[in-house]
Amino acid sequence: MELLPENQQEFFRSKAAAIAHPRELVIDALRAVQSHHGWVPDEGVTLVAALLGILPIEVEEVATFYDKIFRRPVGKRVIHVCDSICCWTREGEAIFTYLQEKLGIAPGETTTDGVFTLLPTCCLGACGDAPAMMIGLTTYGPLTPQRIDEILAQVRAEVSA
Amino acid sequence: MPTLTIDNQPVTVAEGTTIIQAAERLGLVIPHFCYHEALGAAGSCRLCAVRIEKGPLKGIQMACMIPAQDGMVVTTLDPEAVEFRAHVAEWAMTDHPHDCPVCDEGGECQLQEMTIAAGHGTRRFRGLKRTYPNQDLGPFIVQEMNRCIQCYRCVRTYRDYCGGTDYGTFGSRNRVAYGRVTAGRLASPFSGNIIDLCPTGVLTDKTFRFKCRSWDLQEAPSVCPHCSLGCNTLPGARYRELLRVKARVNRAVNGFFICDRGRFGHGYQNHPQRLREPHVDGESVSWNDALAAVHERISQTTEHHGHGTVAFLGSRRATLEANLLLGQWAAATGCTRTVYECHPEFDRIARTVAARLGDQRRSPGDIQRSDFILLIGAEPLAEAPVLALAIRQAKRNGARIVILDPRPPQLPCAFEHLPLTPEQLQLALEQLATKKFKGWTRDESTTLRNLGKDLTAAQNPVIIGAGALLGAAGIERLFDLVDASSPAARPCGVLVPLAGPNSYAAGLLSNGGPDFDDLLDAILNGMVKTLVCLETDPFEDYPQHGRAQSALAQLESLIVLDALPTQTTRHADIVLPTTVPVESDGCYINHEGRLQAFAKVLDPGLSVAVTGGGDHPPRIFEQSAPGNLPRPAWAILAEILKLPTETAALRQQLARTDNRFAALTQIHRAAEGEIVTAIGIPPRPQDDDGAVESSVPGSLQLWPIDTFGGADIFSTYSVHLDPLRDEPYILLADEDAKQRGLTDGAGAVLTSELGHLKVRVRCTATIPAGIAFLPHLLRGATAGFVPGGGALSCTLKSVEGEA
Amino acid sequence: MSPRMSEYPQVLFKNRVPGETVLIDGYRTTGGYTALEKAFKELDPATIRDQVKRANLRGRGGAGFPTGIKWSFFPADQPGEKYLVCNCDEMEPGTYKDRELLKADPHQLIEGVIIAAFALQTPVAYIFIRYAFEDCAANLDRAVAEAAAAGYLGKNILGSGFDCEIHVHRSAGRYILGEETALLNGLEGKRPNPRSKPPFPAVRGLFGQPTTVNNVETLANVPHIINHGAEWFKGLARTLEGAGTKLFGLSGHLERTACFELPVGILLREVVEEVGGGVRGGRTFKACLPGGASTPYLTAAQLDTPLDFEPLEAVGSRFGTAGVTVFDDTTCMVAATLNLIRFFARESCGWCTPCRDGLPVVAWLLDKIEAGKATFDDIDMLKDQFRNISGRSFCALAEGAMGPVAGLLNHFEQELADHVIKGRCPLKKK
Ligand SMILES: Cc1cc2nc3c(=O)[nH]c(=O)nc-3n(C[C@H](O)[C@H](O)[C@H](O)COP(=O)(O)O)c2cc1C
Ligand code: SF4
Ligand code: FES
Repeated sequence: MELLPENQQEFFRSKAAAIAHPRELVIDALRAVQSHHGWVPDEGVTLVAALLGILPIEVEEVATFYDKIFRRPVGKRVIHVCDSICCWTREGEAIFTYLQEKLGIAPGETTTDGVFTLLPTCCLGACGDAPAMMIGLTTYGPLTPQRIDEILAQVRAEVSA
Repeated sequence: MPTLTIDNQPVTVAEGTTIIQAAERLGLVIPHFCYHEALGAAGSCRLCAVRIEKGPLKGIQMACMIPAQDGMVVTTLDPEAVEFRAHVAEWAMTDHPHDCPVCDEGGECQLQEMTIAAGHGTRRFRGLKRTYPNQDLGPFIVQEMNRCIQCYRCVRTYRDYCGGTDYGTFGSRNRVAYGRVTAGRLASPFSGNIIDLCPTGVLTDKTFRFKCRSWDLQEAPSVCPHCSLGCNTLPGARYRELLRVKARVNRAVNGFFICDRGRFGHGYQNHPQRLREPHVDGESVSWNDALAAVHERISQTTEHHGHGTVAFLGSRRATLEANLLLGQWAAATGCTRTVYECHPEFDRIARTVAARLGDQRRSPGDIQRSDFILLIGAEPLAEAPVLALAIRQAKRNGARIVILDPRPPQLPCAFEHLPLTPEQLQLALEQLATKKFKGWTRDESTTLRNLGKDLTAAQNPVIIGAGALLGAAGIERLFDLVDASSPAARPCGVLVPLAGPNSYAAGLLSNGGPDFDDLLDAILNGMVKTLVCLETDPFEDYPQHGRAQSALAQLESLIVLDALPTQTTRHADIVLPTTVPVESDGCYINHEGRLQAFAKVLDPGLSVAVTGGGDHPPRIFEQSAPGNLPRPAWAILAEILKLPTETAALRQQLARTDNRFAALTQIHRAAEGEIVTAIGIPPRPQDDDGAVESSVPGSLQLWPIDTFGGADIFSTYSVHLDPLRDEPYILLADEDAKQRGLTDGAGAVLTSELGHLKVRVRCTATIPAGIAFLPHLLRGATAGFVPGGGALSCTLKSVEGEA
Repeated sequence: MSPRMSEYPQVLFKNRVPGETVLIDGYRTTGGYTALEKAFKELDPATIRDQVKRANLRGRGGAGFPTGIKWSFFPADQPGEKYLVCNCDEMEPGTYKDRELLKADPHQLIEGVIIAAFALQTPVAYIFIRYAFEDCAANLDRAVAEAAAAGYLGKNILGSGFDCEIHVHRSAGRYILGEETALLNGLEGKRPNPRSKPPFPAVRGLFGQPTTVNNVETLANVPHIINHGAEWFKGLARTLEGAGTKLFGLSGHLERTACFELPVGILLREVVEEVGGGVRGGRTFKACLPGGASTPYLTAAQLDTPLDFEPLEAVGSRFGTAGVTVFDDTTCMVAATLNLIRFFARESCGWCTPCRDGLPVVAWLLDKIEAGKATFDDIDMLKDQFRNISGRSFCALAEGAMGPVAGLLNHFEQELADHVIKGRCPLKKK
């Protein structure tokens, strides 16, 4: 599967050439690869390094630091369930358990159909809407089992569309 | 110069000194992990906590992060600081596997020492430990990540200090790990330093792994024999085998670092082809018989052919003691033809350096403080690797680095590069000195003119040049340039890497005498009938192999002292086996005239691994160790001269006879060596043949050059370095390759006066057209192409074309 | 809505309509960009800096450093590359005020950034925004484009001769990036470990150049101060020393968990009982985090504390980010603290030992205590861990992690002991 479309590669190449510190684009470029390819394989690291004219090690050092850069394959949608204090006060643990049961996977796993990967995350900044989760870049809350069923169905429909 | 008090002791230190360094001055070691003198402070481990009682920042502080200030009062014994340090050690140990009994760091583990020093003894944390997979880092270094305490020293060493680009920090929180993006050999030629700098057993020496516990090693301070820098080392041996080499601190020379050639190039000591017994006419004989035979051949020669028909050849890799004794022996036989270097061009260079260096000498330690470094025809990574490391530190301190060289430079730092041909280098040297620029394009002369100006304006400039491309004439011009760039107020420094660890001594000892060309003439004219060679290989090291061979073939006797088999020992009538440097005491004088002593680490002998056939030590009782016959060359010579064969007494005697080396009597105690200030005699003027004869159309000017893995004989006998040795390749300009239908990586046949050679093509845009480079590998396929003999003319054809 | 909301002057949230984002036209109808016009046309940078200083605006990012003083250290008048960085990492649990502000009214921040950039003479500003706030990032992109189109950004703004560009930088997770020096490393594309201070960012910041880092809410206050003056701003607070309004993010066991703009110095009781609608389900208030996950707990005994910097410090806690998370009487404070410590341990950057390896030890101890498997030795060990981590880490992350532990040890020692005595969590239903 293609890592990054040529026009985006060109975008990063020319932007890197135009600015004084091309390294500042490393997160943007990693996120671009990830959103196109789903996750960042080794070749993605090398590609980003080449596009920005920096060392692969410099890319990898950064890529492995952030928890929202995936260096392993993930499902088509990553579900990040908040496990921080505000969600915890509002039945967040039960919600996380419900999601695991509903999807039939443990945290860190991907559903057999390859649609969802389930990961815990720190506070999503949705404390007023606790308990919360984020699928892709969209935050959902407050969650109840019924809400979860609806959301998962809707996302599944989007993915298969 | 602030004065502060630490644990009630006053100490005055230089501005900018941190508390931890000030304490060290008082002999107080404040426990620490991440701080290292060469790397500076990171403030990450938090172990070095002390209490500042008086000062701008009071309370518990990290001693590595706070600069000493006048009037500061510090205590390291404060209960809060003590309690905190114990906690830091406890935390650092929470994930540690406690596998000290099987860990190669055992016995020299800073983690152990500091944990004890910090007062942590009992494990309270009983939770799960995080575990890591390990990464294969290649043939030199083993990684055991679970032992890691995340002090970040390895990355700071590898990336920041050494300039490596393929090792880094991954992950976050208590899952930080270090490694390469993908498994594989660490590419930096200084990779081994992370073994020394890692305070735990995460990074250990793979070549040493499971061979021996560190406390069982025989160790002694030594000096690296692999180039002329004279880096200080600490070799370790056991069971009659040199097992590893570590860096030893010498702040003037190598700091805390050595290169991988010096560290992993030690396989020569236990090489199966080591010369182990004296031989006369191919027969193995006793020492007595061998020495009697030596005596007999020499007296026969003088009797039959008269005084002066025996000649002596010393060398760049024999000790100062041995070279001095060789001279005495030669004098005793009435010899007027004692030569100390079989490569006439390198001989001239060594003499020039010994005659002209003076106060402008610079050590790698000085280089780090330079603000302007001009490299002309020098390739430090091959000729003197740790010099490249020193240049990098200068760059990190803000120096400007400019390189004039036709080769694509290999320095581990940023630089400015002007690719000039070897002829242009000569011109540049000359005109930078005279400041009159002729024969350049407009851009080139502007660049050179500015360079000249910047050289004059710099505070602490250093010019570095080497012999392979510049030749002796070029080195003389280099010194002229140095002089021209040295107003009285501010001398310009100079550093010329020489051919071997003791080349400087050879240059000094030559005393204006003949060179090896003269000696070969004398042999060819029948004026010399017997030649004594001291740890030198004129068959290989003299650039014109054919001429050396035909001359040496005319000798009646060839007497050779050496440790390793060479072309010369193969042709010898008498072979006297000598020890290698780690097997004896001795001294070398490095490129800057620094006399340094090394001590015997182990006695010679076949290693137990060999005699035991892989089993435990043999169960047969023997009085002496098998293979223990090699003797230090100086001991053999001393016996021949009936002088003391014990180091101290011999050195006394040598110092008395030649007061240029008065320091010899003290040298074993000098921590940083002693500069020999005696001035050598410059070589006789020579017609400048700098220009290379124009040659057949379509031919290339071929320059043999040194490489990291192939330059000195010792390391070519080390199998550990095999992964660093490339198959023969030729380096040329893209356009030259294109003209010949060659591409990067293609196979080709190189034809020159030395015959045909299959090579791989490497091309680059930076090389000027018309010239090509062939890396020299001693004892390898390119052995005939000796650097420093000028250029050859060659042609190059693609292999496909041949077929 | 709280019956008393009308009593609280709305400054930052005056345009807020739930579910909507105010764009430039809407923003302008309520006086948007008048402050900018005034600043560029009538004021000089030093005057703006002075006004902000006199307004006694304190940083809204958690540390509460007076913004005017921070700006006065900045070499605004020196020539050369300089940067303004707006911190919208907002990853401290219980804190979601910047998000609410950017969801509702992003131009406020843009206007604040431009005025601050002018005041500090930084031609380049970055807004650093966390991964989870893509909605806000999109709003900002749009607001930046609109502001540029309106001539508020770009070259020679309003004929002042001052140029300014704003870059929106999206991050990829990790709480530590909120720490200003880690954030600068992150912006530079390096590993986001904090840097050692000194040198402070004002001396050596982004790309080694002088840099000021300010929180979203801090900068969003600037246009209002310019428009209405320092005295007005101070008058918004209920305490004498305090100034301004504050965005309070309510969460936990409250009836109403939403973000409200309230006067600085409002009593905690009022926030809990009036604004938050009281504890959920009619239960009893047990404790709260008054200003985000790193602030020591307050208990019912402290409900009458005014929510401002000094009063909260006086009762052993901190104002922090004013994210108020309430715990009712069913909450086990050991379990709550364990949850918080796990967050900090997981978000540690891994640079220094007390944080990287010390926080997991604290989590292990709390876990053991909560599971009823601990002895009093473990409680002692918890205390010695607390004593040795506090104030000893490289940056303030581990220091912040000790906030709730401090609260636990100060107010809930008996609850800790009960876990040991009973051999189980006393609050868990059997
Ligand atoms: C671990 C840690 C996380 C932080 N997170 C944030 C944050 O998300 N947003 C923020 O504005 N400040 C955060 N800060 C504070 C910043 O370092 C800095 O003080 C602040 O951005 C300055 O802006 P202000 O003076 O306007 O508050 C954090 C500090 C620490 C130590
Ligand atoms: S306290 Fe130390 S490990 Fe923790 S986030 Fe700060 S620097 Fe990193
Ligand atoms: S030695 Fe000072 S913090 Fe590590």
